[in-house]
Order: sequence, then C-alpha cells, then structure tokens
Amino acid sequence: MMQEMISGMINALMNTIMSNQLHIPALEPIIDLLSQLPVGGFMISLLLWKPFFAALISPGFATVGILLLFFPWIERKLCGRIQWRVGPNEIVWWLGGIIQLLADSIRFMFQELIVHRDAHRPYYLQFPFLTFIPTLLPLLFIPAGSIVAIRTPYAIQIILALVCLFPLFILGLGWASNSRFAFIGTVREAFMYFAYEIAFIVAVLAMIILYGTSDLVEINNTSTWGILLNPVAAIVFFIGAAMATSRLPFEIAEADQELAAGPHVEYSGIGFGLIYVLCYEKAYVLAGLMTVLFLGGGSGPAIPGIGELSGLIWFLVKTIIVMTTLFVLRVIYPRYRLDQGLSIGWSSLLSLALVAVVISLGVLIIGGGAL
Amino acid sequence: MKKVTVEELSARDKVLRHARAIGVSMKESVYPLTATVYYPRERKKMPPNLRGYILFEPEKCISCWQCAFICPANAIQMKEAPNKRYYPAVDYGKCIFCHFCIDSCSGGALYSTKIHDVAYRDMDEMLTLTEYMIEQPEILREDKKSVEYIIDKDDLHLKRIREQDTLFVEPTPPVEIPMVSQCIDRASCIGCRVCEEVCAHGAITSRQEGNVLRMSIDTDKCTGCGLCVKECTMQILRLVRR
Repeated sequence: MMQEMISGMINALMNTIMSNQLHIPALEPIIDLLSQLPVGGFMISLLLWKPFFAALISPGFATVGILLLFFPWIERKLCGRIQWRVGPNEIVWWLGGIIQLLADSIRFMFQELIVHRDAHRPYYLQFPFLTFIPTLLPLLFIPAGSIVAIRTPYAIQIILALVCLFPLFILGLGWASNSRFAFIGTVREAFMYFAYEIAFIVAVLAMIILYGTSDLVEINNTSTWGILLNPVAAIVFFIGAAMATSRLPFEIAEADQELAAGPHVEYSGIGFGLIYVLCYEKAYVLAGLMTVLFLGGGSGPAIPGIGELSGLIWFLVKTIIVMTTLFVLRVIYPRYRLDQGLSIGWSSLLSLALVAVVISLGVLIIGGGAL
Repeated sequence: MKKVTVEELSARDKVLRHARAIGVSMKESVYPLTATVYYPRERKKMPPNLRGYILFEPEKCISCWQCAFICPANAIQMKEAPNKRYYPAVDYGKCIFCHFCIDSCSGGALYSTKIHDVAYRDMDEMLTLTEYMIEQPEILREDKKSVEYIIDKDDLHLKRIREQDTLFVEPTPPVEIPMVSQCIDRASCIGCRVCEEVCAHGAITSRQEGNVLRMSIDTDKCTGCGLCVKECTMQILRLVRR
C-alpha cells in the first residue's frame, strides 16, 4: 500500500518533469547517453525541467551569479575607456583584470564584519541577507523565450511589487546602522523612492494597457517590439530603472562625495560585499523586465541547433545591452541633486508617463482594440 | 551684481546636446584615447628642460655661494670639502625644484637631469651630500618603452616608442653675462686685502703709497666671478655689467 503510494507519487512527479522538458537538439546525443545511467537520467531530466532550469540556471540564479562576477568589471572597464582611463588592470593583466571582482569577493569574505556599538545588532546583521528576497524572487517570473519558472497572468504585478519592496530593505539597513550618514542616506532613499516609483508604475501600466495582458510569456510572444509602439513609456521606464538602481546620475542616496556610502556606510566585510552586488542584481531584474516589455524578450532569429536556448540567448544579449546602457549613464551625465531628482520624478517623468498611457490608448484605438 | 543663471535652451537644443553627449561616449567606448602611462613598465618621455634631480661638477664651481643664497626653500647647505672649498649639498626634503640654483650658477657647475622619481630610506638621507651629486645616480629601470604625449587640435594622443628615454641631459653652458667687480665706496675700504687673497685670477692688487694702501682692480684680468664681492668685509664691492 505504502510502496504503491510512493511509486505513484514518483511516477506523477516524473510525468510532470518529463512533460515540460527543455529541448536542445545539439545536445540530444549526450543527454540520451546520460539518461541511461540510473541516477544520471533523473538528474538530467530534473535539470532540463523548464521551471527548474529557469529558476536555478538561466535566467535565474547561476546566470545572476556569473553576471555579478563580471558585470562590475565590464562597467568599470567601459567607464574607464570612456573617461580615458584604463580601469582594473593589475590582476591578470593580460586579460585586462577580468577576475577583479573574484579577488575583491575573496577579500570581502575574509574581512571582519564589524558591528559597531550603536547598531541594532540583529537587524544590522539580517538586512543584507533579507534584501536578497525582493531582488532574487522577481527572477522566477521573468521569461527568457519560453523558459520561465512560474507562469502566471499576474507576473508584471508581482515583479513590480517585489521591486517596490526593495527600498524598504534599504531603509531597514540605514535604520539598523544607526549612524548619521546612514540616516541621511536613508531619508534620501525614501525621497527618491517616491520620486521615481509612481512614474515607473504608470509607464508599466501603459504597457499593460497596450498588450492587454500582464502575462510576460504572452507579451514575449508578441510580434512587435514595445519600444516601437510606445517609445515614451520606454524612456520613462529606463529613467525610472536608472533611479531605482541608484547608479551615478541618480546616485543621491549613496552620494560618495557627501555621505561616504549612505545607508551602507557602516558595513564592512561580507555585509558590504552583499550590498555592493545588490544594485547589480536589481539592475538585472529591471533590465530583464525592460527587455521583455520593450525589446521583444527572447524573440529574434532562431539560432540553429540549440532549440529553445535560442530565445534564452537573445534575452541575455538584450538584457546585457540594457544593463550596460544603464551603467554607462554614469559617465555621460553629471550627478543630480536630491531636489533635482525629485523635481524630475514629479514633473517631467510623471507627465511623460501619463503621455505614455495616452499613446497606448491611441495605439489601441487605431489598431482596433487588440494587437 | 551679476547673477549666475542657467542657460535657457530650447527643446531641440537639449535633445541635440543629449545626442552629442551619448555620441561622444559611444565613440570613446569604441576608440578610446586612453591617457594612461603604465609607469614602471614604460616612462613618459620628458622634455630636456625638465626640472629634475640636480647634479654637480666641482671643477666648474667657484664656491660663490650664489646657489645657497638664492634658494627660496633654504634647501642648499654649503659643506666644506677637504680642499677647503665650499660646495653645495641639496636637501631634497626642502627642495621645491625651482632650479633657481642652476640659473644662478655662474660657472654652470649645477645642472639638471630628467630624473624625477627618487626614493630615500629616511629624512636624513634626503640631504644629498656633494660627493653623491657628482656621480650619476644608479637607476633601476624596468621600462622598455617611452611614451610621448602628442596634442593635436583638441585631442591628446600617446605615441609609444620602443626605446628607453635617456634620463641625463648634456648641461647647457651658462649664458655668460660679462661682469666686472667694482668698488662703490672707496672711502670705506679698510685695506684688509681679503679681496686680493681670494681672487684666483690676480686681478686685484695692492700697493703701499706711504701710509695709504691703494687697492686696484685690473678689469682685463677680472672674470666677474664675484668671489671678492662675497668676501669683502665692508661690502663695498659690487658686480656690474661691463
């Protein structure tokens, strides 16, 4: 009786897994060979189970890890080139210092994490780790081609809710630090949050109106790129994303010149390392969302031989381009003050977002109700 | 009162300026004009008139002390040599590399090099004694290339040359302004004859006329070195142009 139940459960599980397998024609012989092994077959089919693959490998966890290892290097190198500098160079100089962040992270790992006397100790230690919840969870809902971990008709809403939760954790960091620089940075973060969030959400709303759905997989399969249908919404989304990641043109909360590092000023060691990569993760999530909403997601000419991975590769290429553009802004534009950031957010950005909604409605009316 | 205001731009101008900024950054990211010199592995090629480490030729020195007098940072100390002459020693802890000493040196005994990266173990060692200023210093060179900065129009280019830059410059002979020693106040002369003793060219002579000692300067023999001017106890000798 018990055995039958267990074997029935395993069979049901296997059927679920096998019914939603990632199909890669080029790797078919290797996969067939490995499937003949007793445990290997199960492992391979679990690995190629689409939701599992999406969540743990790509566009999920492993891809984020690799991007975090190399993206700060790409950013520093590119900004260095534009500013007539060299960028990180001394570690493995024949590769241009490519493992700089690996070296940095080893240093962060073994550095002492100092908890100063005034800090609220439990919160101070928890928040850098808790902040990963709103930054990693949205990855489950972002599709790369047809690969998605959780397909739901409310994907955009869930991603937006999690992204909007992010500043709350930064506020927590700043409050737990209990230092005056951290407090000023925290208040600025809260101000900036109000500055960009409404325009950002309205721009996404314009796209939901345009597509008539908030299921990202369905949006991904739309033939026309969103940026051609509604460029104003794309601009608002992009500027909103730049403000949300608080990189240099809008680096108001962190403000190296005035506040050292704003909310993160007291952190050292692995705590600082985690916070350092947080904004890259957030940039990845927002760039992924922008890719799906405006740049057609995983659509593109199919690369022969790799089947469904083709969509994934197009998605990653587009996302990396959007991320790079987001980070190169720091060498093009000078820094904004807090009041300038707020006035942009509440005046021009918000009005542009409303214009974007009007454009979406106009496109729908001209196009006859649906795309 | 002049008020600083923000330039009013039309929407078209704003868009154009944004486009130009983005265009420049795209151009630079593809073809950057990186201005970095990888210093220990290559050196920037310095102009020959660079104000660098100072070397000294004792044969040309007439111990006139002009370098020590003119030094605005008081970095030059005159040290007595075994031959009873005084030679300069530069304290690089104080030196501001203005090279007034080199300009003021009448014999051209001090001259500059292109060396600008010198290291010392402690502060006392920074007082470079004369004997260390005579020989060319030992240099550890890791550089294989030298880099030249070329500025054309508004852009800066680096030109890398596959050869080491020579750090030593041939000292330029000093511009000789013909000077001659002259007594400006004959009545104050006390006849100590220090000037006669100090003159290396025998230009100053003295003769007894009864109770009076008469000093005379032979302007043909005088080289205008200024030693007598320095040594004169009554400070009545001056160097004047011929």
